[in-house]
Amino acid sequence: MAEKHKAAPMVDEISDFEVLEIAVRELAIEKGLFTAEDHQQWSEYMETVGPLPAARLVAKAWLDPEYKKLAVTDGVKASLEVGIDWINDMPSHFGTPSDYCNLRVLEDTPTLKHVVVCTLCSCYPRPILGQSPEWYRTPNYRRRIVRWPRQVLSEFGLQLPENVQVRVEDSNQKSRFIVLPVRPEGTDGWSEDQLAEIVTRDCLIGVAVPKPGKTVNDKRPIHPAINPVDH
Amino acid sequence: MTPDRKKVMKHINIGSQLQPALHVEQHAPFPDLIDNAHIRAYTRAVHDVGGEPDVPIQWEEKEEEVWEHNTFITCEVLAWRGVWNAEERRRRQNVDVGQTQYLGLSYYGRWLLTAARILVDKQYITNSELSDKMDEVRKRYE
Amino acid sequence: MSKPHYDREHHVKKATGVGDPQCFKGEAGKARFKVGDRVRVKDLPSLFYSRTMVYTRGAECTIAELVYESPPPEDEAWDNCENPEWFYSVIFRQKDLWPEYPDAYSSDTLETELSERWLELV
Repeated sequence: MAEKHKAAPMVDEISDFEVLEIAVRELAIEKGLFTAEDHQQWSEYMETVGPLPAARLVAKAWLDPEYKKLAVTDGVKASLEVGIDWINDMPSHFGTPSDYCNLRVLEDTPTLKHVVVCTLCSCYPRPILGQSPEWYRTPNYRRRIVRWPRQVLSEFGLQLPENVQVRVEDSNQKSRFIVLPVRPEGTDGWSEDQLAEIVTRDCLIGVAVPKPGKTVNDKRPIHPAINPVDH
Repeated sequence: MTPDRKKVMKHINIGSQLQPALHVEQHAPFPDLIDNAHIRAYTRAVHDVGGEPDVPIQWEEKEEEVWEHNTFITCEVLAWRGVWNAEERRRRQNVDVGQTQYLGLSYYGRWLLTAARILVDKQYITNSELSDKMDEVRKRYE
Repeated sequence: MSKPHYDREHHVKKATGVGDPQCFKGEAGKARFKVGDRVRVKDLPSLFYSRTMVYTRGAECTIAELVYESPPPEDEAWDNCENPEWFYSVIFRQKDLWPEYPDAYSSDTLETELSERWLELV
């Protein structure tokens, strides 16, 4: 856990939050509220989550109209086919406490474009998409995207014509959302693997659209950690 | 605009201008100096920021600190073991902290303070135990 | 003075193998609204906690879907789970939310989820 990652300990190099984190975890274990194994088990579960299953769900939906119908009507059931069980994958077997178990898949059309935000915190479909990016958590994104969505999307490099309806999804309760974008031109005959590669995390949040040849999010500065997690 | 909508837009505007309080000659003003719009603004749920005006910023990614990762896991496991549910967690870390901490601390800083607070509030630990433990942990690094 | 006792088992017993919000299915009674209804969001007092964003208050919207049953967040935030209600996915025209929203983009919309107590028929 935390301690083993630490460099040579120096009083000036440990922040009050690092101290508090260790204190809270150790006290909770000493009082029997949870065990060190519980903590380890959940940490291992989190190492398994990332955006690939959501990308695969989109690719499958592009290839199979019946599966697409299932995805937009029952996202939790559709997730099973890409290896994600929203209820039982995690040690709790009642979903993750923070993300609940009600995935909704938002289908874009040539005249409708979805983008997801949680203005009240940063609700995010972690079991199928991994941890949220930092910008998604900022008050700035949460303040502005609901009111000036076209301006914010243009800052992400996405300019949308007048005839496309922009629909902001404010993810405020127990549902969690991914966007099912329109399959781009130039992908005829592609396999599920090839299609899944162009469905990036940003496409699944809705601030980008898939393009042939583009398999990573737009390049942005990465704020470094002082003592980073090694995954 | 209906009267309700006028009130809402005024609220969003006042809320966006509230700042963590700095010193003025008299804090805690006389009651007649605070109208309903200001009572509402000061007692608002501080997580409710949708629609507040703000300027464009550079969108950034971020590496995760070890303590941030552990904090997230601790919060999830506290819920798994029934110490709180996710709604109680969200209420405590996004609203109960108040505007100053909400805007001034980092994202997981609020999660962490709240995880400590629930143990004290529900009397699973005493505040003195927390203090002693923090003192002891800090000494490990001296 | 004795310490309070908290029931740490009730949620895990109810939701294990079932999921949340699935574990509240069938507990909210008959839904008051149906898909397509025009409703207005009430501007109810909301001290201490709410997940009905202020920017939606007093605005009209359309019921798009009945999504699930669950305790209202204003109560569940203190672990009061006795009175689940229906949650609705609702869609607003952006022009009904923001006075300055440009006419050129009058078809733009915003969708969110609200619980039944916050809604009234127009």
